[in-house]
Amino acid sequence: MEFIGYLLLSWLDPSLLLLTAAGTLAGIYVGAIPGLSVTMAASILISFTFKWEVNEALALISGVFIGGVYGGSRTAILLNIPGAPSAIATAIEGYPMAKRGEAGTAIGLTTVMSVIGGFVGILALAFFAPMISKIAIMFTSRDYLLLGMIGILLVGTLSGESFAKGAFAGALGVLIGMVGLDPMTAEGRFTFGTITLMGGIPYVVAMIGFFGVAEAFVQLHKLDLPVVKQKVDRIIPKLSDVKRYFWLAMRASGIGTIIGALPGTGGDIAALLAYDDAKRATKKPEVPFGEGAKEGLIAPEAANNSAVGGAFIPMLTLGIPGDAVTAVIIGALYIHGLKPGPLMIAETPHLFWFIVGNLTLANIFLLIFGLTGIKVFTKIVECPKAILIPLIIILSSVGAYAIQNNPVDIYWMLLFGVIGYFLKTYGFQVGPIILGVILGPMMDANYRRAMIGARGDIGTFLWDFLSNPISLILLTAFLLMLISQTPLWRIVKQWRREPSS
Amino acid sequence: MSSESPRRPGELAFNAALLIFSLWLLWQAFSISGFSGLSTPGVFPMLASGVMVISLLAVLGKVVKRPAAHDGARAFLQKVTPSRHVVMLGLVLAYVALMPLLGFLVASGLFLFASIAFLWRRSLLVTAGISLLALGLIYLVFRVAFQVVLPRGELMQWVF
Repeated sequence: MEFIGYLLLSWLDPSLLLLTAAGTLAGIYVGAIPGLSVTMAASILISFTFKWEVNEALALISGVFIGGVYGGSRTAILLNIPGAPSAIATAIEGYPMAKRGEAGTAIGLTTVMSVIGGFVGILALAFFAPMISKIAIMFTSRDYLLLGMIGILLVGTLSGESFAKGAFAGALGVLIGMVGLDPMTAEGRFTFGTITLMGGIPYVVAMIGFFGVAEAFVQLHKLDLPVVKQKVDRIIPKLSDVKRYFWLAMRASGIGTIIGALPGTGGDIAALLAYDDAKRATKKPEVPFGEGAKEGLIAPEAANNSAVGGAFIPMLTLGIPGDAVTAVIIGALYIHGLKPGPLMIAETPHLFWFIVGNLTLANIFLLIFGLTGIKVFTKIVECPKAILIPLIIILSSVGAYAIQNNPVDIYWMLLFGVIGYFLKTYGFQVGPIILGVILGPMMDANYRRAMIGARGDIGTFLWDFLSNPISLILLTAFLLMLISQTPLWRIVKQWRREPSS
Repeated sequence: MSSESPRRPGELAFNAALLIFSLWLLWQAFSISGFSGLSTPGVFPMLASGVMVISLLAVLGKVVKRPAAHDGARAFLQKVTPSRHVVMLGLVLAYVALMPLLGFLVASGLFLFASIAFLWRRSLLVTAGISLLALGLIYLVFRVAFQVVLPRGELMQWVF
């Protein structure tokens, strides 16, 4: 029962307790303030915390993660601006409720259901991650290559305008990850003979550039959005409401956990799917959907918080991040010298149980902070973008500098920021780039290991994919996802029947 | 499919530039180790840059079919790089260039003041007050609480 000690570590250590609380509170604001994102905050925080103990850094970052996923719902309800993409569905139902003067009820219900969802996700993490990591030990290099490709493919297809743009972004990220000396042969790749590039491009700098600076420039377009104020009354939800919607929340949490656990999909997609599911499952809503139905508010919020625990599953057991935020968190673990993967739970059980315990704690803080402090909140969220944007740029610069105390990193960050701005303007998403940066070197190494294992023979290499059951399942999954995104699929569908939509 | 929205201003040029960049990367990837083997360091970079080239060709194929943006060059300046963005980028560049000279605190203070004054247009006193307040908070959180080393200036060794 050693793990209970690790589980409760952050509960009993005052400084860890404080950091988790601070992270959760900060996360709620980060998630809520339009223009700040959890990914942005997490990537900047990595650089600030990398000299800390790994537990302290994780306590703060997972607090921000849990708080941030929830925080988006508040601005969605109060201002009709989803603070984060995962709160888009929340705005559809939450804002009409606020207009009816039920903003307090909406926030209260959202908070309680988010917390319930969060617990489901964490339970799934505690229960399934050790099981999956036992299976994952049987995974070979081929399977990791396939998992990496599936992850990038999913992020590429589900975010952004078109699959081709997602694939481009993912491949660009892979190449950014390749820059530097090849870890197997120490040959330079894309270094152009310069020493600066031999060490590679620090991925945290790329993250801060793409998610911080680029986003700040995108936000410059939205400087003058009017702010609508809402009256907030009683927040603590009625027990009858919580009881009534409990099973709906459980169902949405189930969806959220599974979607979160798939490599490459996170809270955004989980929320939309759960909303859609609730819409179909609710036969007689009190209020029609789209006009402030509580069902449509609860489902996406329970789902996106349960996706947090779910997203940790592939990250900790396979080393494959579930979405952009977990890609950033995996970057934090790398910086602290940890290699998430199938052996992590066996070799460093304390870390795994610490993360589980810490997420639980952050979830409890979420309940406390979610039901209090709403007056201060409405004041801070009205912070004009004209102040926010310069602040984002300053924080990003300090963040980029703090990693190696090297001013050159600030220039890199700026370059990525400008490129990211143009990419976003023309409908490319930056999420797949970051996933590519993190997964690229891993995929490269596994590809070559698999190829060397096949003695450099392409026939043997390909046959291995078909002859091994795990590889075959993953390969089929990958090919199905790939084909469903290409024109071939449309032809097949048309051939079978006329498309209905 | 008939009522396709026109291209965003500059979209064609941007995608074409990306294509040229990707082709150049493919060439660079090829020059790492060529086709000398299947497990050489150059294979994966070639695959990745190949994916970039192919996907961009697919993107361009669609972009070309859409009608051209109305009044392309001027719309680009107005919608993609309006003066607000250009001025902000200039301020950021000045900030980054001045930081090694003036140090983090002074450079950030100036940058905050200038950019808030530009974006917000309130009285200079309010702007200065907000800049100082924000700077103080950043200093407290990062230097005092997080113990982050902030860049120091050559000209002002005596300030942090």
